[in-house]
Amino acid sequence: MGGTASKLPKELLSEYQELTFLTKQEILLAHKRFSELQGRENGPYSSRVSMEKILTLPELKSNPFRKRICHVFSTSDLRDGSLTFEDFLDLLSAFSDSATLEIKSHYAFRIFDFDDDGTLDGRDLEKLVNCLTGETDDTRLTAEEMRQLISNILEESDIDKDGTVNPSEFQHVISRSPDFVSSFKIVL
Amino acid sequence: MRRMSVYPQHGTALENLGLTAHEIQQEVENNTSELVSDLSDLSAGARFQAIRSLPMSYNERKAIRNRVNNIKLSKTILPTDCRQQVSLSFRRFRASLTSARQRLVVWQDTLKEIGGRFGTSVLSYFLFLKWLLKFNVFSFVINFCFITIPQIVHAPNISHVTGFRGLELLTGVGYFNQTVLFYGGYDGEVIVSKPAYNMQLAYFFTIAAYMVLCGLSLIYSMSRSFQKNFVLETGPVSGGAWRLLCSWDFSVVNEKAIQYNKNNLGIQLKESLSERLQMKNKISLSDRIKHLSLNLVAWLLCLLLALGSGAGIYFLGTEQLTFSFNQDPNDLVSEASTLLLPVVVSLINLIVPLLYSLIGKMETYSNPRAKIYISIARNIILKMSLLGILCFYWLNFVPDKIPCWESFVGQSVYRLLIIDFIFCLLGIFFGEFLRNVIGTMCIQSLGVPEFDIARNVLDLIYAQTLAWIGIYFSPLLPVMQVLKLFIIFYLKKLSLSMNCQPPKHTGRAAQIQTVFIALLFFPSFVGALSMVAFTVWSLQPSDQCGPFQGLKTPFHTIFNWTDSIQGPPETHWVWWIFENVLRSELFYYLISLIVLVITFFLWQITQGRKQLIKSLREQIVNGGKDKAFLLNKLQNIQRQRREIASYSPQPIRRSMRGSVRTVAQEFDQTTYYNPNWINTLPMDM
Repeated sequence: MGGTASKLPKELLSEYQELTFLTKQEILLAHKRFSELQGRENGPYSSRVSMEKILTLPELKSNPFRKRICHVFSTSDLRDGSLTFEDFLDLLSAFSDSATLEIKSHYAFRIFDFDDDGTLDGRDLEKLVNCLTGETDDTRLTAEEMRQLISNILEESDIDKDGTVNPSEFQHVISRSPDFVSSFKIVL
Repeated sequence: MRRMSVYPQHGTALENLGLTAHEIQQEVENNTSELVSDLSDLSAGARFQAIRSLPMSYNERKAIRNRVNNIKLSKTILPTDCRQQVSLSFRRFRASLTSARQRLVVWQDTLKEIGGRFGTSVLSYFLFLKWLLKFNVFSFVINFCFITIPQIVHAPNISHVTGFRGLELLTGVGYFNQTVLFYGGYDGEVIVSKPAYNMQLAYFFTIAAYMVLCGLSLIYSMSRSFQKNFVLETGPVSGGAWRLLCSWDFSVVNEKAIQYNKNNLGIQLKESLSERLQMKNKISLSDRIKHLSLNLVAWLLCLLLALGSGAGIYFLGTEQLTFSFNQDPNDLVSEASTLLLPVVVSLINLIVPLLYSLIGKMETYSNPRAKIYISIARNIILKMSLLGILCFYWLNFVPDKIPCWESFVGQSVYRLLIIDFIFCLLGIFFGEFLRNVIGTMCIQSLGVPEFDIARNVLDLIYAQTLAWIGIYFSPLLPVMQVLKLFIIFYLKKLSLSMNCQPPKHTGRAAQIQTVFIALLFFPSFVGALSMVAFTVWSLQPSDQCGPFQGLKTPFHTIFNWTDSIQGPPETHWVWWIFENVLRSELFYYLISLIVLVITFFLWQITQGRKQLIKSLREQIVNGGKDKAFLLNKLQNIQRQRREIASYSPQPIRRSMRGSVRTVAQEFDQTTYYNPNWINTLPMDM
């Protein structure tokens, strides 16, 4: 790990440390992995890596939300899910151990919000459940079960009864699921 | 703290409401500058944390940070600048400390691999193991440095009665009898050097310091874990659907494991749905009585089993004591017979939990969580009653009958630990490996065994309790525990990846982990501590061996010490503190009074917060109602506007304003009464 230290300028490194939840080691490792993806060693730090390349990372390859994660963290104007190194650090920072519950729930909400409209409605929830359940017949939920499940979810979390789950309601849900913080985690 | 919304789509929503792009920009700018001024009021540490926690992209955060820094710079006067420098360097130092600690993390990659393949709940078992390993390494280091090294350097007190034969490794007697492994290998002389090293005090204070540090660290981790994982559950009863969805493990990277998790989650969701349906159909009274009586019978059976095995151990122990009284040190058979008791204890530990799970199968519980907790409670009752009986027997019968009884107890604990380790290895081989072979080759319906986290953690807790009990009687026992945990770590990992599948019901892993830490503290550590404390406070140490020979109780060494420091004036104050503070009832009375008052205050604060949560919830509900009401109104008004607009197209409207006064007045009135000015904007533009 020591050899990679020279590639990142020191000021940049301390700035990254200041603005993300990552430690020095984690940033250096992230830089190493990112430049491997870039395919060249000393490229400019702002150049983007396409979503296809990012998704070759073993940590993201099989994740059911991989495309959503890229889209949420991408700052690209083209909305193509490509990431700069800063975006990549943002991603790792939100999924790191020391990120706060608020950050984690904010990004979880945006990942689950498939149509990017700022609320989780029935269609988002259906997509979410489909993402997380198996494809075989005995594990796939029937239409009736899905309807029941979504109405249960809304009944459970939709405090203001507007038929959708908004960010603050979602945060309320998250604060009552203690497993969330430990499982919303990606480590390089 | 004010948080900015970063939804680009919010902008479009506002646009629909009729705000111009300029106004939106203005609004955003206002928000940002408010945020910046909020941030610049914070202290440096809190500011960094707050900026880091802003849900924005990196460059936006950087911009905010730069603006805040600019404000700071313009405001700074010299002293604060100096303070900032100090705090900055302090922060840098702390960051480098954390990163240095991260380098030292053992098994980081291994743990990551386990987490990636089996998920967080299985990982928690390994983290627990690692945590115990740290305790034991620490204990080994301080015992070795402060007790063993001085003893070895001073007087290698080794008088071999017998040669090494191999069986000692299991029994701990014979060759090991007089070594520094056990209490008997130490003597309480004051080592003459400059300054003098008092072995009695060293022995006492090392063990005491370790116990106190262990206790503090346990309390600390327990409270941290409680704070993090036990959240207030208020409001409507959750059906658990969200909990299941939120427990999705992002750290799992293995393709097969993800598929497995997905299938599991699907099944669990289906189960939760059917449970909910069942809940709606109320259980009849006769069924409830039936369930209750079944539970009662099961508890009775479990307690009887625990009682029976305790009594069996007790009789076996007393029987052996009379037997080992007149044994020849060279007789291999009688030496091997001392292994009978530990083997029986380990067998009970192996078989009775299986019986418990059989008993558990005939009961019905409304939720699976209750079932898990009840099974944990029963197992811990069994293990602790076994250990309690053993302690009772060691402290009540052994001291009168055996000449160097502390070493005898140390050896008994050593044997229990070793045999427990062997059973654990056998358990891995037979319980997991063979079960896997049978499950995959012969009887397909059995399937691959599940990794039972609760059982495995309880085994670890049991072994750690033994190690704590034994620490006074055998100061180097932690070495055994360290080796054992090390080997178990690798074997379990191997067995897990070859033989087992991760558990199906993974929900609530975090809470169960808290329960385990609490269990390690309450019956386990507190029990071991009281056993050791009782020995030190009120039992007479053996006459012929050990550091405390000739004293009434080991604690008397403290009295001797304080007597010795009473004389010289430079240490008089230590004596004074001991005599007037530590030994006075008034001091403890005051302390407990203060603690009680603080507890009462904290309890009151908690009550207040609960009230607050309740009223905040009500506010949210009311806010939702208000929102719905206002939206309704807005839509109505918009519809009205549209109807009016369709009556009077644009050019006519303009001319109306000029010529036909009455109509125009009417029209103006409608705009005037329109409470929502936003509504009017899109039409006029």
